[in-house]
Amino acid sequence: MSKLTKLLTLLMLASLALAACGPQATSTPVQAPASNINCMGAKQGDQLTVMYQWSGAEEESFNSIIKPLLDACGIKIVAQSSRDNAVLDTTVKSTPPDVLFWPNLTPLKIYSDKLQALDTVGADKGNYASYWMDMGSTNGKWVAIPVKADVKSIIWYSPAQFTALGYQVPKTFDDLKTLADKMAADKNVPWSMGNNNGGAADGWAGTDFIQDILLATQGPDYVNGILSGKVAYNDQPVIDAYTLYQKWASDPKYTVGGADGTVNTKFLDAIYKAFSNPPEAMMVKQSGFAGSEIVKQFPTLKYGTDFDFFEFPGVKGVQGGADFMYAFSKSPAAQALVAYLTSANGGTTWAKANFGLSPNKGAAGNYADPQAAKLGDILANAAGFTFDIGDGLGDPFSTAEFKAIVQVVQGSDIKSTLDTVAQAQTATLKK
Amino acid sequence: MIPRIMKQGRLAPWLYLLPALLIMGVFVVYPAIGTFRLSLLNSNSRDSAAVDCLSGQPCWGIFENYRYALTNIDMLTALRNNAMWLLVMVPATVIIGLVFALLADRVKYESLAKAVVFMPMAISFIGAGVIWRFVYYIETGSGAQIGLLDAIISGLGGKPVAWLSNPVTNNFALMAVGIWLWGGFCMTILSAAIKGVSSEMLEAARVDGANEFQVFWNIMLPTIMPTIVVVTTTMFIIILKIFDIVFVMTGGNFGTEVIANRMFNLIVTNAGQSTAIAVVLIVLTIPVMIFNVDRFRKEEAAR
Repeated sequence: MSKLTKLLTLLMLASLALAACGPQATSTPVQAPASNINCMGAKQGDQLTVMYQWSGAEEESFNSIIKPLLDACGIKIVAQSSRDNAVLDTTVKSTPPDVLFWPNLTPLKIYSDKLQALDTVGADKGNYASYWMDMGSTNGKWVAIPVKADVKSIIWYSPAQFTALGYQVPKTFDDLKTLADKMAADKNVPWSMGNNNGGAADGWAGTDFIQDILLATQGPDYVNGILSGKVAYNDQPVIDAYTLYQKWASDPKYTVGGADGTVNTKFLDAIYKAFSNPPEAMMVKQSGFAGSEIVKQFPTLKYGTDFDFFEFPGVKGVQGGADFMYAFSKSPAAQALVAYLTSANGGTTWAKANFGLSPNKGAAGNYADPQAAKLGDILANAAGFTFDIGDGLGDPFSTAEFKAIVQVVQGSDIKSTLDTVAQAQTATLKK
Repeated sequence: MIPRIMKQGRLAPWLYLLPALLIMGVFVVYPAIGTFRLSLLNSNSRDSAAVDCLSGQPCWGIFENYRYALTNIDMLTALRNNAMWLLVMVPATVIIGLVFALLADRVKYESLAKAVVFMPMAISFIGAGVIWRFVYYIETGSGAQIGLLDAIISGLGGKPVAWLSNPVTNNFALMAVGIWLWGGFCMTILSAAIKGVSSEMLEAARVDGANEFQVFWNIMLPTIMPTIVVVTTTMFIIILKIFDIVFVMTGGNFGTEVIANRMFNLIVTNAGQSTAIAVVLIVLTIPVMIFNVDRFRKEEAAR
């Protein structure tokens, strides 16, 4: 609440300053960006309500991204920050925000009739890969576009180790399998895995691994088929993915400590093991946050030489998360925000703010941080995008999936274990 | 001379009972009925549980949630584990409590010894679970063993054991924590009972030439038997509802699932199944309750 009051005070001061300048306010020093910002008819002092989950540093980043727009058009923004679905629901049913940012596509399903079609409120689809529009459309109406995304389909490794031992970064999924076998034959453990998350969430790191294997062997349509129920979770390719994963995650030749290691190691410890001196493993599959964790644990290691990452080889689309923008209002101020964030200029500004990745094509080449730039390239070149299957489906599926990972690592029969998960999948989709 | 209102009429007993009945009704009977009602509804708590039936699979109609509670593979593991917990932990806590109480009775530093054994009860169970996770910690890479048990084992040249994930050891590893926590509780109550045995009776037995074992077996044990029964039934109920240790240490993974943990995990996602499990748990405790009340009545009658 104090953040909100602070923000409001700040905005009030800003608007006072603007009012003092009078109608000439648009000719303030910030002129360069103003030239390519389209105010969509928004007037000085127009109010815009937005709602999002960001808070703290995230909220500050977002404010810095939209500042050029607010400065150029004189829009006053009133923000509400909440992570609560119930708060979203009450707000939308009473006084919907003009523009909503939400980290999933649930609003698309629930509020599709209240949402504005984005092409009627100034969104520029030319700056996005077409799969984003497919994902954000319902019954032919395009209502959601991602403004922020992250990519999980990556593998961390040490370029120095790879060079010293004569390993090449794999280009295809078969290369990866061959590389893992070669490392195991050389008595270098290829993987460091950690599925221990203190009980209830044990196994989540494994579900990402399975999903990447499926993205490599089958592709994003197949993974989305699991989410929609077209593909049952005990389908043969899923069984094959688990079979490979079982070998990698439970054989001490392929992972640190074998099955005991995988189920007892915490995911952060698993990251450290691949970069300790001497390293206990050659590779660790983990999302982008691993980079900052490696630096925290080993401050002397340098990105690019001591640690680096490559895209999970052969994936025909990436997995990750995304924050989507929805418009409930057609007001000029709302249109100005939608137009600004979907413009190439908006993508550029987002990339420069170092606030996750932007799926906007304007972001390419504008990331300040080299790791973000590399992840941004992976995202920009991805042929498709999938959410985490467990997050997408929810319970009871996700709990069953977590359990299945743990059981398979400990040597359960894959077919019968996945039959149980497939049942949970059916039950989940029926809800 | 006694005012009329004080004379017991037909209404007076009810008047005295009213506060108790009201409180019981609001906080026990009403929630119990509510729980049972929810257990017949599906995950949205509005439609009948029968809606959850999948075609081509067995269905118990309105009692579908009970089919889950009694036949689901995770629930079967939980029921089996709860039975194991009862078989191991009830005798273990009562016997260990009794042994400590007897031994402490014979030493000078009795209160200190008892305080040490009772101490774990003062720790929150969640905290105890976290502490014991460190004790059972296994380092699976090339690092040194920092978990107490595996450090000792590897120090003696043995192979470290994955206490919590190995299905052979993990249930017993968790029960050991339970015994550590509850042994002191049993000891305290049994110790009070031992103090209550009249010293004249014990001295009379010794004067008659009974050895210490005979004194214990023939005099003390029969005298404190009612207390032992109380402690046993109390432990039975407590262990049937065991939750914290499992939730903190394994989350029910690796085949350590117990009934109350299933109930907890499902309450958010499927209140119907969760409450069905709760009802099963209540039904399981009822025989013990009946036994307890029955014995209590007999004791009252004997006075």
